[in-house]
Amino acid sequence: MAGTVIGEGLSIEGDITSDEEVVVQGNLRGKLTSSDAVSIGSNSVVQADIAGQSVSIAGQVTGDITAPERVDIQAGGRLVGDVKAARFTIADGASFKGAVDMEV
Amino acid sequence: MSQSSVIGAGTVVRGNLEGEGSLDIFGRVEGDVTMSGDVTVGDGGSVRGHITANKISVQGAVQGDLHGSEAVLLERGAKVVGDLNAPRIGIGSGALVRGSVRTEGEPAVAGGAKRAPVAALKPAVFAAKPVAKVEPKPAPMREAEPIAVAAAPLPRLKEREPERRPPPPVLPSLGKGAKAKKKGR
Repeated sequence: MAGTVIGEGLSIEGDITSDEEVVVQGNLRGKLTSSDAVSIGSNSVVQADIAGQSVSIAGQVTGDITAPERVDIQAGGRLVGDVKAARFTIADGASFKGAVDMEV
Repeated sequence: MSQSSVIGAGTVVRGNLEGEGSLDIFGRVEGDVTMSGDVTVGDGGSVRGHITANKISVQGAVQGDLHGSEAVLLERGAKVVGDLNAPRIGIGSGALVRGSVRTEGEPAVAGGAKRAPVAALKPAVFAAKPVAKVEPKPAPMREAEPIAVAAAPLPRLKEREPERRPPPPVLPSLGKGAKAKKKGR
């Protein structure tokens, strides 16, 4: 099981800092920083800058994403913000608006 | 899965948490927690802020008030600095609390009613004790009493002395002499 789960129905207004996997299925407004993987579930609404080892987005995210490893926007996911990552994928059916920096 | 949330041991949340379902906190939360379900502050977890939930159980540390609409349970290892408020409150052995504890509803009302008469009786008992004892007690007691009042003004001592004295009748006279000497000095 993931170290930290923000379940559906839970809303957090503030900063989250973690050194373990974080799964967000609820709502978050603020900032999310993890040194492990971050995953944003399909029903979640996030207004936050997200930094994680890898970031996977299936819900709605507004904010900048930074990940040394990879960022994936899943089908149905929606991201408005800039992405900085070594690898970046946008699945068919995902929506994205922002700039991409892959450090080329 | 959808209704249950976990703040893991390696996670710090600075801000308020609010929502439905249950929440387990093994990490650190600096902010208020408001949940419709149950909140558990696990061993090693800490919260700096008020917690409002249906049932709150604590094994970690909380600095803030705990308000449970059903219960607040402090288990072994819990450290709470703040007020506890719930219809049902349990404080296990090994749990530390600093704050006021209040159970809502009938128990709280009954407790308040009891307090008033007890407070009113206490001063009356202290004032009446010497007078009340002198009157009803037999002659040997009377002799002992005034001496006791002069030598030992504590009402508790007076109670104990007469109880011990009656069995050996010789003692009162000795006691009188000793105390009289003290008086003279």
